[in-house]
Amino acid sequence: MASIINSISFKNFFNYYGDYFETRYDFEEGVNIIVADNGAGKSKFFNAFLWLFYDQILDSDDKIKKGIKDIAVKIISDKAKNETPIGGSIETGIQIEYSNGRFKYQITKSFTATRISESITSFDSWQITINDIEVNRTDHVLPRYTPVYDADEKLNIIKQLIRPDLRQYSFFQGEEVDSIIDFGKKSSIEEAVRTLTDISNYEELVSLTKYFKDKAEIDLNKQTKSNTDHNDRLEKAIKLKKDEGDKLDIEIIKLGEFEKLYDAAEQEKNELEQNFSNAEKRNELDNKIKEKNRKTTDAGNEYNDFLESINNRFFDGNFSWISLGFDNVIDDFQGKIQKFREIHYEKKALLNINNDPNKHFHFLPVNSPDSVSLKSMLDDQHCYVCNRPALEGSEEYDFIVRLKNRPVEIKNETEYVKNNLDSFFSDLQINAQPFYNKISNITDSILQTREKETALSDRLTKLKKELKSLKDQRKDILISGSNGEDSLTIINRYKGAIRRISESSIQIERLKENIKKYKNNIHNTEKEIQSLRPSNIPEGYLLNYDICSDLADSTEKAKDRVFDNMVSLLEQYANEHFQSLIKYNDLAGGILKFEKSPSGSILFNYMDSKGNVVHGSSEGFQRMKKFSVVMAVISANTAKYNYPLLADAPISAFGEGFTEGFFEATGNVFPQSIVLVKDLYKGNDKMKINDLGKKLLKDPLVKTMYVNQVTEGVEQVDLITTKIKLK
Amino acid sequence: MTSQEFKSNLLIKRPRYANSRIPIIEILANKGSRTSEYSQFGPIYELYIYAFMLGLKNNLRLPLPPRDLTTDFLELGKWKRDSALVDFLMMIIFTRSEEIGFDWNEMEDMQEADLNIVISKVITFIEEYANGGLEHLHDLLDKGQLENSHYMFIDLYKN
Repeated sequence: MASIINSISFKNFFNYYGDYFETRYDFEEGVNIIVADNGAGKSKFFNAFLWLFYDQILDSDDKIKKGIKDIAVKIISDKAKNETPIGGSIETGIQIEYSNGRFKYQITKSFTATRISESITSFDSWQITINDIEVNRTDHVLPRYTPVYDADEKLNIIKQLIRPDLRQYSFFQGEEVDSIIDFGKKSSIEEAVRTLTDISNYEELVSLTKYFKDKAEIDLNKQTKSNTDHNDRLEKAIKLKKDEGDKLDIEIIKLGEFEKLYDAAEQEKNELEQNFSNAEKRNELDNKIKEKNRKTTDAGNEYNDFLESINNRFFDGNFSWISLGFDNVIDDFQGKIQKFREIHYEKKALLNINNDPNKHFHFLPVNSPDSVSLKSMLDDQHCYVCNRPALEGSEEYDFIVRLKNRPVEIKNETEYVKNNLDSFFSDLQINAQPFYNKISNITDSILQTREKETALSDRLTKLKKELKSLKDQRKDILISGSNGEDSLTIINRYKGAIRRISESSIQIERLKENIKKYKNNIHNTEKEIQSLRPSNIPEGYLLNYDICSDLADSTEKAKDRVFDNMVSLLEQYANEHFQSLIKYNDLAGGILKFEKSPSGSILFNYMDSKGNVVHGSSEGFQRMKKFSVVMAVISANTAKYNYPLLADAPISAFGEGFTEGFFEATGNVFPQSIVLVKDLYKGNDKMKINDLGKKLLKDPLVKTMYVNQVTEGVEQVDLITTKIKLK
Repeated sequence: MTSQEFKSNLLIKRPRYANSRIPIIEILANKGSRTSEYSQFGPIYELYIYAFMLGLKNNLRLPLPPRDLTTDFLELGKWKRDSALVDFLMMIIFTRSEEIGFDWNEMEDMQEADLNIVISKVITFIEEYANGGLEHLHDLLDKGQLENSHYMFIDLYKN
């Protein structure tokens, strides 16, 4: 019967604050989905199973798996830590319930932490005691748990949940899928085949039958010797066969070594390909991050400068906020200056009349007519304004002279007031224009300022989000690739690996030729030996040798056939799963092909419809290829696959097409799957899931769906994860 | 005295503020470097003008303590140099001539000493309203009613 996880609950485990009953997730047979945004407890949830199976936790800071005791302080909920007084204790743990046929089990792993000093995050502040594993069992008839005491039995119960040799196909996190099926390693598909078939029995049989064959041959040769009178020719042939056999053994050993070289080079090449493409991707992302960082900094500076400059708008003549509410000043000043001028000019006019009653014409603007025209009039003794003669000595002529001298006279004019402030007031009116002209627009100007601030702030928020997303992507790559080497080293190593592949290929070919030659020689010598053998050997020896020989040949062939059949079965299933995984994608998927390499390992290729090998497909496709093989391993299992799938972010960021295909395919392959996924999350939706999430919610394959949430805008010590059960 | 001379005599004056206003000035004007938790003006004169206008708007005229208990700062003519701002302030101030206690036309016939008295009254007028405005800001700060936002000054000014 299949193992089905009924529930998991946590106690003060990371952000899962509270007791087991408060944090319980119930699951059913079929597909179970937990939707959570970044930071909402996906990896922590997955860590519970790492604890269960391996007593380890993945430290999210350095991506290294650590023993429980070494990381215990980090595991305890900060809120719980904060609430524990010095001298007090808290328990942190995980509890999993699963059924397996008749029985249902409850497993609890926990530890107790005692606070001994102030700082809650310091490892020195806590004393950790790992508690005994608690395992309880019940049958479905009598639903009452009874404890299991035997330590070995407890461990067996944990093992039964997912068998250790199958966990790699059933329990994985994000990019781990890439390493489960590492197509560069000869061992990875072979191991799968070994897990799935009884090939090791065949191998035993092969060595046993070879032993029988060798023994039969020795016996036969003994008989030959005892029955002949020192037949030199026969001795010689037997010796030759033995020598050829020795040479064959040496060549076989050499072949094995070159095959190892070939495999190592092939593996290195494949690893480097991954690193190389990661290095390129990293580089690309680094450039994008750099650019985005610059833009974000610029936008941040612009935003801050804008905020800082808001108060400048009071005094900047383009905005003039300081004049807000001083609308009356224009009329008030106008009234005052008019009144002032009336009195001012009255004084002037009176003074002029007193000094020279004939100067009334002064009201004619100065320089009108201009002095050049006036000079011409005097030269011509003619007034061109009234077109009359103005002869020298006449009154008209003198009048034109006075007009011409007027600017000089004005300079010498007596002041009619002690302090002439006319231009002081006039200048104020003229100069202050930028401020009083804008009064009516200020309310709009303030509104526009706020709008502009919102626009700048929105832009900054958007850039920050984009930057964070790029950084997250960069972090993901960091996990799967080696970070230390520069690209030149990678290229050189890559070239070296290619050279070694080609060299060892040539050697392998040569050795295979040699082996063939020696085998041929041995075969022919054997025929010669048979002809040379005397006829009086008891028939049983000959027959025994023949039968053992045939048996050894056919077991060898049977072993190869079982292996090849399993490989082609895997290929067939892998293709079926691949097609269903990619069916919601627009791109036409190719064909997956398993082929034997020169060294005998299985190479995994991806061909297009015309049979060409396709390189460099998107990462989504690469990941799906690998999933297909994982699922093929499970489908090819002769018995029904009896273990749940537990996967954290297996399809992260590959697009909706893959996500949809993934859930459908896993639903058909695994009796139960529990998948933690961020891709369906939509923060601003009422249900917190996107359209695909809603579609899946209605899908009968999906049995339960949870959305995780963390309290927003609180300090780390108040952070808790809560859940909404949608189905 | 010509218009030019009159203006110069006015603009070389350094208005004063009460020493008790120094803390609020330090909080609300950063003088180019200091920052506080509240929105700030740059130079002191910006805050001073703001306080003066706020005083006028809310009719908050408050005499200064004796000269020894006050501090002067930048002369009027150096407030926002080459700008229309000081002219606009003068426009507002001179429309309030009755309240200050002089007449535009009478000024034209005054002796220099009397004219200087007018200038001095104008400065006092500025100082007393600015003092009123600063006290109002101080009061709001003490009561915790200053809203910490970049729009704090304009929000306060609109009401």
